[in-house]
Formats: sequence, structure tokens, C-alpha cells
Amino acid sequence: MNADVVREVFFWGVGAIMVIAALRVVTTQNVVHAALYLVGTLMGAAALYVLLLAEFVAWAQVLIYVGAVVVLMLFGLMLTRAPIGKANYDNSQRPLAAVVAAVLFGVMSWILIDAFSGTELELAGENAPRTQDIGAVIFSSYVWPFEIVSVLLLAALIGAVMIARRDEPEADKEVGS
Amino acid sequence: MELTGLVQQSVDWHAIAPELVLAVSAFIVLVADLFLPKEGKWIAMPLAAAGIVATLAAVVSLAGDDRGTFEVAGSATFVVNDFALLFKGLFCVIGLFVLAISFHHFRSGRYYQGEYYFLMLTSLLGGLAMASARDLISIFIAIELISIPAIVMSAMRKGDARSNEAGLKFFLFSVLSSALMLYGMSLIYGLTGSTVLTDIASSIGSIEASSEPVVVLAVFFLLVGFAFKISAVPFHFWAPDTYEGAPSPVAAFLSTASKVGGFVGLLILMFEAFPSVADTWRPLFAILAVATMTVGNLVALRQTQIIRLLAYSGIAQSGYVLVCFALIESGPGAAEANRQALTSAIVYLAIYAVMDAGAFAAAVSFARKGGSYFISDYSGLWRRSPVLATLMAGFLVSLAGTPPMAGAWAKLFVFLATVQAEVYWLAVVMGVNAVIAAWYYLAVVKAMFFDQPDSTEAVEVPYLLRAAMGLAAAALVAVFVYPPLITDLADKAPL
Repeated sequence: MNADVVREVFFWGVGAIMVIAALRVVTTQNVVHAALYLVGTLMGAAALYVLLLAEFVAWAQVLIYVGAVVVLMLFGLMLTRAPIGKANYDNSQRPLAAVVAAVLFGVMSWILIDAFSGTELELAGENAPRTQDIGAVIFSSYVWPFEIVSVLLLAALIGAVMIARRDEPEADKEVGS
Repeated sequence: MELTGLVQQSVDWHAIAPELVLAVSAFIVLVADLFLPKEGKWIAMPLAAAGIVATLAAVVSLAGDDRGTFEVAGSATFVVNDFALLFKGLFCVIGLFVLAISFHHFRSGRYYQGEYYFLMLTSLLGGLAMASARDLISIFIAIELISIPAIVMSAMRKGDARSNEAGLKFFLFSVLSSALMLYGMSLIYGLTGSTVLTDIASSIGSIEASSEPVVVLAVFFLLVGFAFKISAVPFHFWAPDTYEGAPSPVAAFLSTASKVGGFVGLLILMFEAFPSVADTWRPLFAILAVATMTVGNLVALRQTQIIRLLAYSGIAQSGYVLVCFALIESGPGAAEANRQALTSAIVYLAIYAVMDAGAFAAAVSFARKGGSYFISDYSGLWRRSPVLATLMAGFLVSLAGTPPMAGAWAKLFVFLATVQAEVYWLAVVMGVNAVIAAWYYLAVVKAMFFDQPDSTEAVEVPYLLRAAMGLAAAALVAVFVYPPLITDLADKAPL
């Protein structure tokens, strides 16, 4: 069995898992299950990145999305008094959302296949993406956006603390507007 | 271990001086707030103002320069030229103006003052960074830096459910638009293999025909992302609710700095990266412009609350700027026409920011003591506070685009650019919209001057607000009398 076949099998296998998990995210009636299905989809994406030799992106995907975002969602559900367990979150927009999603899927698949099918990337040897190169680029060519992001994160942090903290009793009342 | 591929960056520190000064002042405000006693928290505002003035000085020190730094594959991703400096200066002026509106409101309102001024400065920093950004990553980071502090600022009235709603709506729309924008950017990167706008511009024109739909799709996603930020119809639903629920000075900030920031990003992208494929995406902008103008104006007709009126008027005003994008041409010989479209967009944005901020300031002043946010209470304001009534009338007349205020030139320049590009139908739509808009602006003016007041209580306006509004009104009159004040600046400000 040659490498190409293994890659194809792996790709379609992971793809199928991702699609099923993604469908379950929006169809399940249980928020916690939805968050866990989301892990399946996100891990699938990470696996596809590995298939493209993008190891750094794959690990970033696992650490940030699976490790941080989904865990935060679960914490959020736990710490707030949101109903865990079965609950009906559907509303009358459901059919419309399904139609929009289907149209978007159709249009985007058609356009992407039209534009990129047959394009081949040589990922072996010289062109192999290396984590080391990403590090070098972030801290040289893209150092400006990198530094700006630090201000953005600080602002988000301060903002989150301000919104989330419990005010002293007298500060609860807002006047002046 | 030797790091291969590490390009040594020689940073042009003078070029990034305005951003550095502003970032440092934001930190100073934040740290100073820690040590200020409870009654002295308002000192954060003069500190923030000093920071913005220092930033403005740094901007002025760069005047006339043409610099670039942070190179990716030989092209600068951060440029300092007349275009960037003009908008940096505009952001600083808006920042000072919003500080003036905020001071009394936040001091009397039991807000977290230090945090508010810190967040406002970081949001402004996003605007400054946007004006210089010339690659997709910087543009994305800049737009996020503008939006995220603004989201928190609009949710600052924590005890008020409407403010919570304002923040949440803004947040949800903002993340959705960011996701769409990023998707568009990833498609562009996939097609061209570069994030630098000049490289994208040179390679996207030579893409073979089979990729054309994907170019349209990518620009469509980018456009939808930005359309949320600039509250263009049909992506405007968050704006009126957010403006109404947010503290009013924050609404002024959203409607001016945040919106201008979105437009600057869109101008840079469309005029720098994609003019060669303008034929494919021009209709998108024409549709968006017409929908935005018309819906904004028609819904504004029915508003009874001044902040919502200004929100819908701001939406309609976005439509006039979007018209400029619908005039971009591709092919040889288009440079001159595109220059004119760009110039009229710059002039419009600069004048719009001043008059809109002025109108918000007047609304905030009136609502402070003895007034309210309801338009019906504006009746007879002339007898209660002639100064405030005159200033408010001046800003509304300017927004309506009638003399003797600068708003007239703003509309006229866009109109002339449209006629010169021979897009007559768009010019007609603009004209009809200007008439509809005049109706609701002038209705407020008429109520203020000719109707009987319900109460005779004078409206007290603090000196800081008076000075700010007076300066804004004087600037609008001056530009009306002598338009080269702004057109000269805009004319020599290509991207």
C-alpha cells in the first residue's frame, strides 16, 4: 500500500468524522454534548493540518481551540446557572438557518473546487513548512502585528475584569444618563 | 542553534512614534488609575488628553514624510504617508473631542473612569495602526483593536440591561464579521500567496479566468466583514440598539472613530489591493451604497429618540461614502478617476466625523440637566438655551448637507465624483436621499426654533462641552467658507 492511498484513506476518514461531529453540534439538544462534539470537529481539523505537514498550526489548533475555547465553554456552562442537560434551544429561525447553511455550503464548495482543484503543492524537501520558520517570521517580518496583539489582549483582559467584577453596592446604581 | 530565515528588521522608530506614544499614554492612564483616590479618578481624563496631544505632536513631526518599515519580502507593511498621517490626525482630534464629551458624563455617572479612558486610548491606537497598515494581518489586528475595547465600553453601564444588550449585540455581530473577514483574507492568501497588499495587487490582476468567482467570493466576505463594522445595510441591526444602550459618549465614539477606522481599512484594501479586478466587485458596492443610504434615511424619518436618529443618520451617511467605492475603475487610465473617488471619500469622512461628533455632543449636553433624549423635548430649545440650540442646529444642518456648513461640500464632492464617473443613476439616488435626509434633520431644527417649549428651565452646558462644540462648529464653518482647508490635504494624500 503506498503513501498516497494511506493519505486518501486518512483524509476521508477524518473528514467523515468532522462532518458528522459538526452536524451533531447543531442538532443535539444538549449544550454539553454540543461542546464535546465541537471537540471532534476541531480535532479533525488539527489532524488535517498534520496531513499537510503544518505541525505548528495543528498544535496551536489543539491547544487553543480544544484546550482553551471548548474548556472555557464548559466552564462557562458550569459556573453560570445555564441549564446543562436537555433543553430546547431551537426557535422558528431553524429552517431558515438550514437553508442559508445549505446554500452557503453549495456555493462555497462549487467556488473552491472551481478555483483550487488540480492545484498541487510540493510539501517535501525545501518547501516543507517548518515551525522554526514561522517563529522567525513572527519575530521579524510580522513583529508589528505581534506587538499590537499584546495591547489588544491587555485591553480585552482589563475589559473582561471590569465587566465581570462585582461592584460595591453603591456603584450598582447608575446615574447620569 | 542557528536561526535561518530570521530577517533582521531595522525598525524606523520615528515612523511608529505616534503609536508608541499613544500606547505608553494608555498604560500611564491605567497605572495612574491604580494610585488615584476615589474622588480623584477623573484625573485619568486630563492624562488621556495629554497623551493624545503628545500623539498628535508625534503625527505632526512626521508631516510630509514618506516612510515605510516592517518589511515583508521587500515591501513595507507599515507606511507613513500623507494618507496615513491625515487619518492619524483625524483620530487624535476625534479622540480629544470624545474625551471632552465623556468627562462630565463619566465623572457623575459612577463609572470605572480609569478603565474607560484606557480602553478608549487602545481603541484609538487601533485606528492609528489601521491608517498605516498595508498587509492583511495588520489590517485585521487593527480592526480588532478598534472593536474589542469599544465592545467593552458600550457595556459599561453594568447595572442597565440595555447597556448589557448593547455590548452583547455589538460583540456577537463583531465576532461574526471578524470570522467572515478572516475567511475572505484566507482565500486571498490562498490565491496570491501573500499578505502584503502591493503583492496581492500585482498577482491578483494576472489570475486566470477560472479563479474569478473565488476573487468575488473573497471580496464579498471581506466586504461583509467591513459592512458590519461600518454599519452598512443590511448589516446594520446592531448599531441603533448599541448606540442607544451604550453610554452616549461611547455612542459618539462608535459613530465616529470606530466607523472611520472601518472605512480606512476598506479604503486601503479596495484602492490598494483590488483595483485591478474592480469590474467584478463594483456592483456589490453600488448595491450596498444604495441600500444603506435609502434604508438609513427612511428609518431615520420615524425615530423619536435623538441617539437612534443619529444612529440611523450615521448609517445613511455611510452610504454616501460607499458610493465612492462604487466608482473605482480598473484598467489603464483609471488612476486619475480613482484618485478623485478616494479624495472625495477622505473629505467626506473627515467632515462627517466632526459634524457627527458635534451632534452627539449637543445631544449629550441637552440630556445632562433639564433635558432628555427624546426629540419631542427639543421643542423651543432656542428659548431655553440659544447657544446650545444654535450649535445643535449647525451640526444637523451640516449633516443634512446644506450651507452654510461643511457638510454641503462633503456631499457635493461625492456627487461631483459620481457625475464625473458617469454613474448618473447613483447620483440621482444620492440626490433623492439628500432630500429625504434634509426632512428629518430640519424637522428637529424647526422644532428647536419655532415650537413652544414645554418648560422654561435653562439648559446648563459645561464649559468643556461648550468649547468642544464651539470649535467643531467653527471648523465646519471655516471649511465651508474655504474648502481647500481639507481638500488640499486630501488631494495630496494618495495611499
